[in-house]
Parts: sequence; structure tokens; C-alpha cells
Amino acid sequence: MASQKKDDKPTAESKPEAPATEQQRKPASLEEDDEFEDFPVEGLFSPFRHWDQEETEAGAGAGDATQHLWEESWDDDDTSDDFSTQLKEELKKVEAARKR
Amino acid sequence: MAFDSVFFNEFSDAWSRRDGYRLARTLSPEVSAEELKTIYNSTNAHDIKSSVRRGLQGNAALVVGIARDEINAARESDGGNDSESPQLVWTKVFEAWTDVLNQLLRGYQNHGFEAWTIPCLYIVCKNLRAFAIKADDERNSSSVEDTTANNLQDDFDPDTNKNQKLEECARTLSRVFMICQTDRAPIEESRKWGSYYIANLLLKTYFKLNSASLSKNILNSLRASGRDMPDFSAFPKSQRVTFKYHEGVLAFLEENYVQAETCLTEAWDLCHKDAVRNKERILTYLIPCHLINNHTLPTKKLLEPYPRLQKLFLPLCQCIKRGELHKFDLALQEGEDEFVKRRIYLTLERGRDIALRNLLRKVFIARGFEEAKPGEKPVRRTRVPVAEFAAAISLGSEEKIDNDEVECLLANMIYKGHMKGYISRQHGMVVLSKSGAFPGTGV
Repeated sequence: MASQKKDDKPTAESKPEAPATEQQRKPASLEEDDEFEDFPVEGLFSPFRHWDQEETEAGAGAGDATQHLWEESWDDDDTSDDFSTQLKEELKKVEAARKR
Repeated sequence: MAFDSVFFNEFSDAWSRRDGYRLARTLSPEVSAEELKTIYNSTNAHDIKSSVRRGLQGNAALVVGIARDEINAARESDGGNDSESPQLVWTKVFEAWTDVLNQLLRGYQNHGFEAWTIPCLYIVCKNLRAFAIKADDERNSSSVEDTTANNLQDDFDPDTNKNQKLEECARTLSRVFMICQTDRAPIEESRKWGSYYIANLLLKTYFKLNSASLSKNILNSLRASGRDMPDFSAFPKSQRVTFKYHEGVLAFLEENYVQAETCLTEAWDLCHKDAVRNKERILTYLIPCHLINNHTLPTKKLLEPYPRLQKLFLPLCQCIKRGELHKFDLALQEGEDEFVKRRIYLTLERGRDIALRNLLRKVFIARGFEEAKPGEKPVRRTRVPVAEFAAAISLGSEEKIDNDEVECLLANMIYKGHMKGYISRQHGMVVLSKSGAFPGTGV
């Protein structure tokens, strides 16, 4: 809430060891972390409280397709990593053992 | 008398223009320090009372004046470090502000306050909640006994009173919600327009109090009155985004991931593009939804602006993609605290199936093709020894996994439709389907 933020300011400024106090506050603010914020542009009194379609996430991204946001969970191209190499070797070993 | 003139001029001006948002601002306790000083120096409670009477018909403002005075006092003691009075200042502010709200509600119930003044309700309710949280924090961190609540209790549980004021606030807000919901005036001038704003405040409050069931009541109530309500799309985007977010998270917690995805996607699409923190919160739940529903992962581009989300999800995503089962388990352990706190742990755990699917798929692909007959398309080798799957599954981990367990995992994959085929036990082979062994993955 804006009222709280206002309160925090003077105390933080008045103390020279401001960073320390901020760190101490962290655990408390973590809880707050989860909470959906009031929209800054909304500001309740601001004329922007009804933002335009162009300013929405969907509207802004209309140019480049939204498909780019999600991708398939497998990746066939990425076969040079350590794990893939290891896997191939392991499979070879199993096959060799079977043939024996 | 600076306070009087500024305050009343603004009030009467807003009133005559029927500008609800400007009117609401005059009820806001968020006054600049400069203004506060002027007010504090120029007036006292008595002065405010009489001047309010002179200037206004509504008695709400009178209480505002007094409440502001209290807040003023609270601010003073908050700023100064003397702390000579160890009283619970914010509790007083909360109580005074509850009075403000009650006066205002009386205005709506008995004196026909019109619908355009609803922003006043917004601002007063919003601040009530903020004060309740402050009051609870203050009480919990101070050693002062709150004698009003602890009398006559045999059993002492320090947690029962932890959110005392916020719970009180929730009850008050739900009354406000009902007052909005039950208005029978024609839609254009109905308090129903306030429903979603108040519902959002309530949902936020219930989330903080950890009572999902109460949140459900709000959704049900809104659903039940659906036909009498203005169309959802007619509400401001800010209210719609906030509402859809909460509706989505609730569905998510009930493991209704399809509905959760619908709601969260709607919230995402409508969200203001610059509201990064809120978009981050939406994605925190939307990403697990996508993983479960569509087996898709966020692209680098999507996560780019959110370092926190990258830290949260990227390790897991990479393990899923590569099929690194053991590392997936480690990553899940690593982030356990964060995941649990955000209540996404159990959902992400189900991503292990996808990682396993991708691993088995890799084994299948690594086996390559049957010797192609001339003129025919090459066919993949669809008979895979269980031992190969077993080797892949235990890769990276110290523990050796036994064959029964591997077969169990494979059977589960087949049962869940991630893999098509059957296990031939006497041959120690898995025979996979020639047409789409791993449905939806191109092989």
C-alpha cells in the first residue's frame, strides 16, 4: 500500500545504516511478495485506470505472435550436451552387454 | 485554516462535478507530509468538527477529519523515535477508520448515496485493509498486551490473534460486498459496479488469511448473481485482471488446471504491459499450468524480463527438456522452499512425468531405424530392451533401480498415454507403436 511505503521512507533515510535495516525487513516483505499489487498506473485517481487494448500484454504483443511464448518440452536439436553424450555411451554399453 | 479551505473546496467541487474518483481522493488518508503539517498546526479536532458541519451535509467527512487526526498522530509517533507511549497506535487508527467506513455505509444504506460515489468506498475499504495489516504487525511486534482480546481465555495460542484485525477487516469487507451485491437499483446506477473491486480486496485478504474456502464463497456469490450483474467486460481492466488472477490461483489450488489456465491467460492478456511484478505473479502459476495441460515450457524470450522466474523455473525446465531425471529431482529439492511457499511444488513434481517421457523418447530415437528396404520410408526400431530404459532412468544417480520398478514406471507412462506400446516381460522388451510411440511429440 502506498501509505506504508510513505512511512518507510523517512525512517530509512534518517538512519545511516539504511541498507542493514532494509535487509532486516526482507523476511517481512517476502510474505507481501505473493500479493497481487494495485496497478501503478491505475492509481485509482489516475485517468489511466482504464488502460487501452494497445497497452495490454496481448495488445502490445500483437505484432509478434504469442506462439513464441511457449515451446515444446523436448528438444531434438540439443544433443551435444553432457547428458546426451553420457546417455548414448550408456546405451552402447547395454547393447554390448546384451550381445555378449 | 488551510486544511478547511483546500479540503472543502476540493470536496464540493468534486461533488458538483459528480466525479467519484476526485471525491474519493478527499477521503484518502494519504496526505502529503507538507499538508499534514499544515493541518496539524492549524487545527484541532473541535475545529474540524465544527467546520465540517458548516461545510457539509454528509457526516462521513466529519469522521474522516477525526480519523485523519488519529492517523496524523500515528504518523507522528511512527516518525519520531521517542516512543514514550507504547500504545497500539495503528489499532486506534484501524478502529477510527472502521468508523469512517461505517458512516459511509450508513450513507449508502439510509441516505441514498449515488452509485457515482462508489470510489469513496474503494478508497476507504482499501485503507481499512492497509491499517488492519499495520495494526496486526504493530501488535505482533510489540510487547504490549492487548487486554481486550485476551481476557478469559483458558488456552493460549499465540497464533489465534496474529491476524485479529485483518480478520475483523475481512468481516467488514464482506458486509460491504453484500451491500454492493444486493443493490436492486437499475444497473446504470447500481452499487453492483463496486462488486469486483470489493471482491478483489476480499480475495486478497482471504489469501493472506489462508482461507481459500471463504474465497470460494465470493466467487459463488458473483456467479450466482451473474445475470443481474453488468457484463464482466464492462468493468475496468485493472479490476478484471486482479479478479481473474485470484480466480485462476484458486482453481490452481484445487488442481483444476484447465480452468486455472483459462483464467490466468485472460489475466495475462489483459494485464498492463508495464506491470512487471504482476505479470510475474501470473506466470508463476501459468507456467505450471502449461506444463501439466499442454506439456509446454516457457521460452527464453518469455522469461527474459523476469530474473526471479528464471531462477525459479529454468533449472527445472532444462532438466525436463533433456530428460535428466536425476537432476530434475535435485532441482526440485533445491527449490523446494520457494516452490512450497508459492504452492506450486506438487504441481511441478508432476513435471517429472514429462521429463521421464522425454528421456524414454531419447532412448527410442537413439536406437535409430530398421534397415530400410529400398523405396520405402525408414521405420524406427520399435522394440526397445527394458534394460536400456533402465540404464537411462538410473543415469546420473548413484542408486541402481531394479527392473520391477522400471517396468512399473514404463507401465505408468503407457497408462497415462505418454507412450504407446506394451511390455513383453518374457523377452524383456518394450514394443512401441509404429505410428506415434510418443503421442504429440512427432515420433
